[in-house]
Amino acid sequence: MDFALFINSFSNIFQFNVMLAIFIGVAGGIAIGALPGLTGTMGVALLVPFTFGRPSAEGLGMLIGIFSGSMYGGSISAILINTPGTPSAAATSLDGYPLSKKGQAGRALSMSLFASFFGGIIGVIIMTFMSPIIAKAALEFGYVEYFALALFGLSIIISITNESMIKGLISGIFGLLIATIGMDPTSGYPRYTFGRMELLSGPSFIPVLIGLFAVAEVFNSIENLSTQQKLDTKIDRYLPSLTDIKRSTKNIIKSSIIGTAIGSIPGAGGDIAAFVAYGEAKRSSKHPELFGTGEIEAIAAPEAANNACMGGAMIPLLSLGVPGDAITAVLLGAFIMQGLQPGPLLYQEHIDVVYNVFSSMFIANIVMLILGIIGIRFFVKVITIKKEILFPIIFCLCIVGSFSMRQNIFDIWLSLIFGVIGYLMIRAKFPLSPILLALILGPMAESNLRRSLTVSQGDPSILLSRPIAIGLYIIALLSIISSVIKQKKIRKRLESQSQEKL
Amino acid sequence: MKNVVKRVMVVLLLTVLVVTSFSQEFPRKPVTVICPMAAGGGTDAVLRALSREAEKFLGQSIIVSDNPGAGGAIGHSAMLQSPNDGYYVGMITFELNSLPPQGLVPFSYKDFDPLMMVNQDASALTVKADAPYNNIAEFIAYAKANPDKLTIGNAGPGSVWHVAAGLMADTAGIKVIHVPFDGGAPAATALVGGHVNAVTVSVAEVQGHVQAGALKILGIMDTKRNELFPNVPTFKEQGLDLVFGTWRGLAVPKGVKPEIREKLAKAFKSAWDTENFTTFAKNSSLGLVYMNSEDFGAFLEKNYNEVSAVMKKIGLSKK
Repeated sequence: MDFALFINSFSNIFQFNVMLAIFIGVAGGIAIGALPGLTGTMGVALLVPFTFGRPSAEGLGMLIGIFSGSMYGGSISAILINTPGTPSAAATSLDGYPLSKKGQAGRALSMSLFASFFGGIIGVIIMTFMSPIIAKAALEFGYVEYFALALFGLSIIISITNESMIKGLISGIFGLLIATIGMDPTSGYPRYTFGRMELLSGPSFIPVLIGLFAVAEVFNSIENLSTQQKLDTKIDRYLPSLTDIKRSTKNIIKSSIIGTAIGSIPGAGGDIAAFVAYGEAKRSSKHPELFGTGEIEAIAAPEAANNACMGGAMIPLLSLGVPGDAITAVLLGAFIMQGLQPGPLLYQEHIDVVYNVFSSMFIANIVMLILGIIGIRFFVKVITIKKEILFPIIFCLCIVGSFSMRQNIFDIWLSLIFGVIGYLMIRAKFPLSPILLALILGPMAESNLRRSLTVSQGDPSILLSRPIAIGLYIIALLSIISSVIKQKKIRKRLESQSQEKL
Repeated sequence: MKNVVKRVMVVLLLTVLVVTSFSQEFPRKPVTVICPMAAGGGTDAVLRALSREAEKFLGQSIIVSDNPGAGGAIGHSAMLQSPNDGYYVGMITFELNSLPPQGLVPFSYKDFDPLMMVNQDASALTVKADAPYNNIAEFIAYAKANPDKLTIGNAGPGSVWHVAAGLMADTAGIKVIHVPFDGGAPAATALVGGHVNAVTVSVAEVQGHVQAGALKILGIMDTKRNELFPNVPTFKEQGLDLVFGTWRGLAVPKGVKPEIREKLAKAFKSAWDTENFTTFAKNSSLGLVYMNSEDFGAFLEKNYNEVSAVMKKIGLSKK
């Protein structure tokens, strides 16, 4: 490693115009991330044309700023109004919203910020120093490994389910069924589309997400509007307490590594990383029964993972020229427009660019921390708004958000239909997040299973032919077994608690 | 007082609107161009770069509106549903000719009036750098010796690169396994990782890996060699008469007045000629091919017939 170049990269970034670009990027990213329906991918894509013809440090700095900002921004709406602003923040809403309901929105937001910051930094560090090794491992991921990864991801459904495992599984299967809507991944034959063109590529994800979480929440809250108890609207804090940090440190570090690893696999992004980290935090927790009721570690884990994912996603981008997710695909375009071809040669010929990316990401994370600390006091004001006023606003945002992804009226209907489904599920006490996991992982599992079987010409033994895949199956199995055992313990403890109360 | 000011302003505004609508010809307001692919993809990038230049020649701003989804079906349908007054232009792509034979959409190229072709990218047969075959003939010989063994990755069922691989297998008389991925880039990555034996995606999608020495291109389905890789011969040079690739162009829904169509075509052609646009195309290794409305129309018909014939052969066609 060339130390002089490394130090030099920071002096490249510490210039007024570059700092300003990063600052604008992060601020814009937080706003884009917080608004449901606007994602970091969109923000980056719309800004790429403006970076053309500008110095690369400035342009890339702004894009990277949006990238980090939007990852944190998504958690703000997830925590405050139970509406994940981006798919990556869906896992955060599981415990973030309950905390905010308890009047601890500030505590949740500051922990999310803190975890995002550390996750981001750890991801960047791993990216800079271990890229070539990790990139090689990522290339080993073929269809069989992707199928195994998807199975492992689906096994998390059991560990994120709280009360009834059966209900969690029913939700999961329901999600998998919905995931079969659309063109068959191998033959292109349309399934369950009822002749609607809009359904050819399946129900689009963002409107479904908005419907299940936000619209359903609005329906559910309207019902309780009159009986609602007054929330403690006093804002509790802007910085995480030392006890909270102490409790979450282990989870943040573990989740950051999980996030970087998953991010480095092309095609697996922040949403999967966040859920895996959440599942792992719950599995290793001493009191898993509290997960889902507002556990601070349950916010730290997914938020650290999804920001670490950013560093991870940069690994295959920089060292192989292969984008790790949708945002990095757009960044790849930006690199090429700047005349830089990411790939193995980048590390040999343009290591300065790698260091520039490193220092931009580093600075972007620090800017995010500062903006976040200043911003939290304004963000939390959202929950002090009267529900009669807040919910119509959220509802409008939902409609606009579902429309804006593809500018398609059909998507509004989709989010309304899923809003009703979500509402009915909340009433019947079915967990919603298994549907989400199934929607993310179902297509991945299916298309890679089909791909494997196409190559082996129908011989299923191909699924056991790769060591990484077998390892993933074993982890999946272990995670299911340990969750089942834990679940039994949780139930016993809950029962004894309720008996005590009686 | 406030009311009076408001009324005066409304009247003034109306006068301005009326006057401008009489005094000026097309275009009187911003023009919207519809992109059938997602923001950030190649199609979106081309359209944005072209539109930015075209604004100067059109004298109005151009709004790029992305309507992605369903392999381009949604965007193409949106173009047909927009008013045919010339204020809505669409970027039509190869999928306009591959979706109808699959029976997936109720429209075809016949519902559009083409303005111009913007670009064409040929399919390139690419394999791992250490593969035992170094040209098309050796590849075909290997495939004939090992029928149903070679796997060729493509960008999805019915995608342009799937049709390209099917066309190649059909022309060469070989039996291969087609493996669909979610796009050209994932297919290329799978090739680098050794999970498939070959891909038939565009040069742009494998360029980085080839330059890094991980992959090699055996042949290009084009009429001429690629500027980036002048050492790679075309399929035709290697005895297989095969020219195939993806294309993008501009079109309007049927019914737009001829003089308006001409104005649009002229503005976009001037934009296509600018240095800014050609530099952009070069940087993103985009093959620039221009055709005027008439030639583009003839091309669309020929391309449609070719594509539907191949799709029938590889079992993707419903008709």
